[in-house]
Amino acid sequence: MQFAMWELHLFLDTHPNNCDAARKLEEYRSRAEALRKEYEEKFGPLNETSRETSRWAWIRDPWPWEREAN
Amino acid sequence: MFIYEKKLQYPVKIKNTNPALAKIIISQYGGPHGEIGASLRYLSQRYSMPYPELKAILTDIGTEELAHLEMVGTIVYQLTRDLTPQQIQEAGFDTYFVDHTAGVYPVAASGTPFNANTFAVTGDTIADLHEDLSAEQKARLTYDNILRFADDPDVRDPIKFLRAREIVHFQRFGEGLRILTDKLDSKNFYAFNPSFDK
Ligand SMILES: [Fe+2]
Repeated sequence: MQFAMWELHLFLDTHPNNCDAARKLEEYRSRAEALRKEYEEKFGPLNETSRETSRWAWIRDPWPWEREAN
Repeated sequence: MFIYEKKLQYPVKIKNTNPALAKIIISQYGGPHGEIGASLRYLSQRYSMPYPELKAILTDIGTEELAHLEMVGTIVYQLTRDLTPQQIQEAGFDTYFVDHTAGVYPVAASGTPFNANTFAVTGDTIADLHEDLSAEQKARLTYDNILRFADDPDVRDPIKFLRAREIVHFQRFGEGLRILTDKLDSKNFYAFNPSFDK
């Protein structure tokens, strides 16, 4: 599930306007959230993740190394 | 910043020790077409990328390569568990063992330690993206060569996964190059460096 999400994530980097892929990612994310909760209850935390907004928000400037971000 | 997730990107479960195979596979840990070079290449090139799609794809693929580094390290580790002195000698693993014991050190199969001379960061977007396309092919062919020597299905399975990822990355970099050339002078893509000359 997480792997499928990552594939969509990479795809959306070069296709940031693709709504189908963004929708599919959204669908997988809600399913993965439940699985993650179940997993973490059993095995402990995986990491700290923020709630994503959109793919465009991910690629949008500024990036952490740029002046505008600091 | 980076956050570590306490799992492999794809599972590695190798039952049988095989130091001779570990000696070959370690090239994808610290060799000329290996995963540490891939990660450093992309994560370093991204600073001079002029468009958000390119900054994103280099950041994301550069990050994924670190997950691949961990998988290769795991394969080497599992192939060198519970070694006997006899196994070490028979496999020709003694020349590695003398310096590193059963630790995982970034070297090429030939014994050369990892060197940043194996990749380039030119600050020229066209040159860097072409290097990235080439790098993905070089990593893919190295996995193909590893598969010529690996007959253990426990080893072949994660190596095939890593090989397939190189092909996906090649595709994404090809799209990145197209996003770039769409924004350049269509009569002469090489008229200027979009990162420096603007
Ligand atoms: Fe790659």
